Amino acid sequence: MLTKSVKEGFIKGLETTWMLARVLIPVYFIVTFLQHTPVIDWIAIAFRPLMAFFNLPGEAAIVLVIGNLLNLYAAIGAIKALSLSYAEITIIAVMLSFSHSLLVETTITKKLGLSAIKIIAIRVGLAIFTGIIMGRVGAFI
Amino acid sequence: MIEILKEATIGCFNSVYSIAIIVVPIMIVLQILKDYEILDKITRPFEFMADLFNISKESIFPLLVGIIFGISYGAGVIIQSTKEGNVPERDLFLMTVFLATCHAIFEDTLIFVAIGANGWLLLGSRVVLAFALTYILSKKISPETVEELKKHDGAGCDEDGCGCKHLV
Repeated sequence: MLTKSVKEGFIKGLETTWMLARVLIPVYFIVTFLQHTPVIDWIAIAFRPLMAFFNLPGEAAIVLVIGNLLNLYAAIGAIKALSLSYAEITIIAVMLSFSHSLLVETTITKKLGLSAIKIIAIRVGLAIFTGIIMGRVGAFI
Repeated sequence: MIEILKEATIGCFNSVYSIAIIVVPIMIVLQILKDYEILDKITRPFEFMADLFNISKESIFPLLVGIIFGISYGAGVIIQSTKEGNVPERDLFLMTVFLATCHAIFEDTLIFVAIGANGWLLLGSRVVLAFALTYILSKKISPETVEELKKHDGAGCDEDGCGCKHLV
């Protein structure tokens, strides 16, 4: 019975990996290309004025844009490149923990049946909501 | 250009490999736990979530996989269980909302703690808001509403093959 369970589980594991791979590979290509274009910088410049809502310096926009379009590890790299305070890093971290890697993760969640717009609205909505609150109380943390 | 293509291809291989080394063992363990009827015992401490959101107990394991390992792995397990045909649409919708808000809690929290963010605040806000949002939506969408919807449009499916869209 154990051999049968292992075999069955192994096949299901490979099936699931293949399913996820088919969904993710095109998105990985898009994300890698995006990383090598100036598009991210342009978006970040457009978002700079909005950073005041979260009590963040304008340059923090690049971190949020990178985290949302690419992934958290790339965002961490961008945070290290800026000199941000402990409170500012926590504000960014809370916002990014709700909303990150949107291209990859939305493609996956769409597989579960929810529309991309709803998923992004929930995640970005929560990020903005917590960002504004954290921006107000940020001085106390 | 060739450099970028190379980078993307290598990145893809690495990602698929890292998915495989997590998903395959999860699926093997899950199968063993199911076949030997141990799964119920493990998910029992988390069954309060099933009661809270009024979802089936079978949804707890995929939810836990997503919360601990990440959204891709959780989605993988969920999709596998939908194939076996025991996940109600309402559960699927509520699980997606919960996982979109709160997943890979250890990894996502620790990478920020490593650069000096307040980890408890991160983890706390995420868990609390995921519970709150899913709870509110679970109250709005009663299992009866889903039944109603199914009656109205036959199989309860829209063009995309899933009935979740008209629930909200």
